[in-house]
Amino acid sequence: MRAKVWTFALRSLARQPGRAVLGILGVAAVGALLFDMLLLSRGLLVSFRALLDSAGFDVRVMAADAPAFARPRIADAETAAAEIRALPDVDEVASLRLGSAIVTGPDGGKHDIFFIGADAETRRRPWILLEGSDLGASDSGGPPALVVNRRLATALLLRPGSELTLRGDCTRGSATAAPPVRFRIAGFAAFPFDDPKAMTAAARLADFGRTCGLDEKSDADLFLVASREGRGPAAAVRAIRALRSDLHAFSNEEIVARFQQVGFSYFRQISAVLSTITLFFGFLLITVLLTVSVNQRFAEIAALRALGFTRRRVVLDVLAQAVLLVGAGGILSLPLGLALARWLESILHAMPEIPAAMHFFAFEPRALATHALLLALTAVLAALYPMRLVSRLPIAATLRSEMVT
Amino acid sequence: MSILSALFLFAAGAVPPPAPPPPDPPAILVSRQLLASEHLALGDVIALSGDAKGSRAREFRIAGVYEPVPDPGRLGMVPLEARLHLPDLVALIADPADPAASESVRSISVKLVSPAEASAFTRDLTARVPGLLLRELAASDDSDVTFVVLDRFHLAISLVTVIASSIFLLALMVMLVDERRDTVAILRLIGLRRRRIFIQVLGEGLVIALAGALFGVLLAVVLEGGFNRFFQWRYDTALVFVRVTPAIAARAVSVAVPLGILASVAASWSLLRRGAMALARR
Repeated sequence: MRAKVWTFALRSLARQPGRAVLGILGVAAVGALLFDMLLLSRGLLVSFRALLDSAGFDVRVMAADAPAFARPRIADAETAAAEIRALPDVDEVASLRLGSAIVTGPDGGKHDIFFIGADAETRRRPWILLEGSDLGASDSGGPPALVVNRRLATALLLRPGSELTLRGDCTRGSATAAPPVRFRIAGFAAFPFDDPKAMTAAARLADFGRTCGLDEKSDADLFLVASREGRGPAAAVRAIRALRSDLHAFSNEEIVARFQQVGFSYFRQISAVLSTITLFFGFLLITVLLTVSVNQRFAEIAALRALGFTRRRVVLDVLAQAVLLVGAGGILSLPLGLALARWLESILHAMPEIPAAMHFFAFEPRALATHALLLALTAVLAALYPMRLVSRLPIAATLRSEMVT
Repeated sequence: MSILSALFLFAAGAVPPPAPPPPDPPAILVSRQLLASEHLALGDVIALSGDAKGSRAREFRIAGVYEPVPDPGRLGMVPLEARLHLPDLVALIADPADPAASESVRSISVKLVSPAEASAFTRDLTARVPGLLLRELAASDDSDVTFVVLDRFHLAISLVTVIASSIFLLALMVMLVDERRDTVAILRLIGLRRRRIFIQVLGEGLVIALAGALFGVLLAVVLEGGFNRFFQWRYDTALVFVRVTPAIAARAVSVAVPLGILASVAASWSLLRRGAMALARR
């Protein structure tokens, strides 16, 4: 369309500023909701994938394909880890043991904490060190090292170098007879899957076993595996499955695909329903605005046609008005949508056990492209009926009727 | 041969006693989802084992099918379940090397004569049997929090929808009022007061808002079944996702009607405050 068409459409809208502003605001409101629903439809998947990838491990190995609370442990973990480590497609394997522990705060109050035992020999760690030093392969005398998250450090007034006593509680409800173990805080770390209220600590596997009264070479809950560069996680998964058919290996891709099917698919469904409703709403709004506007301008349009404006030209004018309304509303909907997403995110993040680093609304360029495409389609569809009215307008009859009126 | 003689022959040992029929496998119930996913049928005999390797498997007969109690906390997980008699389950999963394994259970459900005394019962039992973990089923847990959060989320979405609808409504009313500018001018010129026209606008707004709100409630009632059927099919559950209750309908109407009236008044305000001559473009 030429610049003249746009200018003319803009003038047509400016003649009724109240109506135009309301139209733009209406499109902005529905556009903001649509944008948020597009962010919501894949937000959890995108941030879950980012969390899985954050530690640098791209394959997870477990004893059974079952939820964590009902999953058996990998027996004789040290041997299994060594076998997997020896595979040519595997770069690194970290054994993880998960449990709980009880610590006493400075006020004498007891706190339940999430306790992780991890291989300290690996280059990659399932946490990100923020301050102090990481767990070493061994300690040079003194209490064993422990890394804790910020929340635990704040609650117990800890700093690197301070000491902390843990009483293990790692056998899923059964009491632990092991004596409490005194640890030295080596550093503070961010654990990707921590929820905002989680207090988490991690120690070497041997120290975890000692705290929980377990054999040093006992079972593991999970192996985190990093595939060798150039081979890829799919090859590593195939090799692990061929080596140990009793274990269940999944690449991050497979875990995300499964999460897409089961976990929080409710949000994808609701976003699909709400996106459809908002688009219909936007379509209705623009159709009504343009149809009424065209109805009121019949005489003017007929006069323009009589003066020499082609049918195509007046039809394009209606389309340009629709595009201007939806375009301006669509642009305005982006900051509105982002602000709304932050508000909705703060509401949804109150759900229990949602990692702090996980987001329900995650921005992706494809969401922006889909938003623009859907709004453009809405503008065109909404303009179809008024465009048809204009294209079939009988010039002489309309002018005569207007003169008589 | 008479019955008497037959009995005599049997007693004398002339006819060998029939071999006792093999004992029927113990009966179990399976969930509807398990029955469908494994293509089972009532009366089928299936083997169950306590571990993934299938060791120490025992045979059971499917005596019935049940619909699992819908659990919103497990939405998306297909409940592949079976119900066994407790002795059968213990025999299936107990570790033969552990003599105490057949003597222990994971949990015991208790129904009190007076549910109001649940807290006192819990305290009493904790004092008498230390080491037990007691939980009142009526007590709030994480899944309750999840649904409170979802409720807030839905409320926030409704708020945004109401804002968008209000703008739409305002735009419609502005156009309606614009269309009637000449009519209002004539009404004013023939002597009708502003107040009289205002009441008419208010009445029209009320009628439109009421009609719209009632249509919205009717639409929600019609769509309710469709939404529920879709999500029940999607998640293979008996959960009810949408329920239009009288309270919700009343709440929707109580928001929509005042908004509609407000929109019509706001739209007419610019028209009503002008003089009759200005309205008639003179």
